[in-house]
Amino acid sequence: MFTMRRISMLFLLAAAAAAQTGKLGIFTNSADVGAPAIKGSAEFDAAKAQYRITGSGANIWGTADQFQYVWREIAGNFTATATVQFVGQGAEHRKAGIMVRQSLDADATYADIMIHGNGMPGLQWRNRKGDDTNTFDLPFDKPATYQVKLVRTGVKIFMYLSKDGSEPKLINNTEVSFQNPVLIGLAVCAHDAAASETALFSNVSVEPQAPPAGKK
Amino acid sequence: MPAANSDTISGMRKLVLVWLLASAAWGQMGKLGAFTNSEDIGAPPLKGAAEFDPASGQYKITGTGSDIWAKADQFHYVWREMTGDFAVTATAKFLTEGIAHRKAVIMLRKTTDTDSPFLQLAIHGDGTPSMQFRNNKADITNTIDFPTEGPGIWKLKLQRQGTNITVWIAKDGAPLRELGETIKQMGSPILVGLGVSSHSQEALNTVLFSDVSVEIVKPASAGAGKK
Repeated sequence: MFTMRRISMLFLLAAAAAAQTGKLGIFTNSADVGAPAIKGSAEFDAAKAQYRITGSGANIWGTADQFQYVWREIAGNFTATATVQFVGQGAEHRKAGIMVRQSLDADATYADIMIHGNGMPGLQWRNRKGDDTNTFDLPFDKPATYQVKLVRTGVKIFMYLSKDGSEPKLINNTEVSFQNPVLIGLAVCAHDAAASETALFSNVSVEPQAPPAGKK
Repeated sequence: MPAANSDTISGMRKLVLVWLLASAAWGQMGKLGAFTNSEDIGAPPLKGAAEFDPASGQYKITGTGSDIWAKADQFHYVWREMTGDFAVTATAKFLTEGIAHRKAVIMLRKTTDTDSPFLQLAIHGDGTPSMQFRNNKADITNTIDFPTEGPGIWKLKLQRQGTNITVWIAKDGAPLRELGETIKQMGSPILVGLGVSSHSQEALNTVLFSDVSVEIVKPASAGAGKK
């Protein structure tokens, strides 16, 4: 009985480990959103725990988006982190960052923290399917590697940021109403339907908020 | 003799100058200073008020109303109409205690309708700065809240250049620091002014706005405002 338990426990642990370091690391799916003309791609390097994501697409903006998305489903509150670094040159406003999204529809409700190619960080969101995109862009000086953290607490989406490898600092928050479950993941957009851009994501984590004590 | 002559001329000059200054001051500082109108938006049950003191250049604005939030607003608004690109600065001090989220704002507003599109830089009574906006008439309100720094005297600056709207804040005499910018198509003409909401229909809150300026600024460089 004891052995059986141990075996089934090991099996469960192994399965959990496999799920965590699957083909896409902690995520389960990757796809182009908004059918860009040039196909994107995503690779997870398990040894480096690094995601290499290539995306095309006109933009994540206005009333419809085009980009490459790597995601998993999640319900409730969570914290997602990533270190975001662009590879190569591209449009000033190419984007890489963390996105929470209602669905894979091109005009879905979303909120994201995007780092632009020129170094400008922005908190951007679409309140309702098919609505216009809202943005709040931060002051910046030059391109950089950023540590990005997105926290969802109810309707609040918090943006944390740092540049020098230090702990990300709270910058601001907005409010966006999602239905559970949502998609949480990484996004790359070239800001040019005729181009492809690549970004590297490391130190990536998605942590659900622990359920309240005493409640299962 | 020449001395007397010169005195007369100098006296004349001085008179003309005083007259010119007075008329300029009068033009810029009517009953409501840099602004032309003052009213309660959204018909709150209590009445708000606004006073301008030309000697100190200060505006004392008393506002009531449930909030500037969601799909309709209640607050006291002191405004003028403007077109094109401009910057507004004001230093806000709450003179009365009240609800943590009572608001003092610099606001751009399409109309005086309660559910009009608007964009504002707000300082809350508890010292939380926010930029908030309603994109379409009767739409919900969006917010970007910044970390609370505690109650104080807050200098606020909001600048519009084309579709770029940039905001700055400073607490207790510190130099202005830029929070960031958004992109909004608000059009011209637009109402530009100061507002106060008590965040309660049963309360009145008074805010003293000093060092208020409304300046025309140069248009943004080409390409700005494009995402």
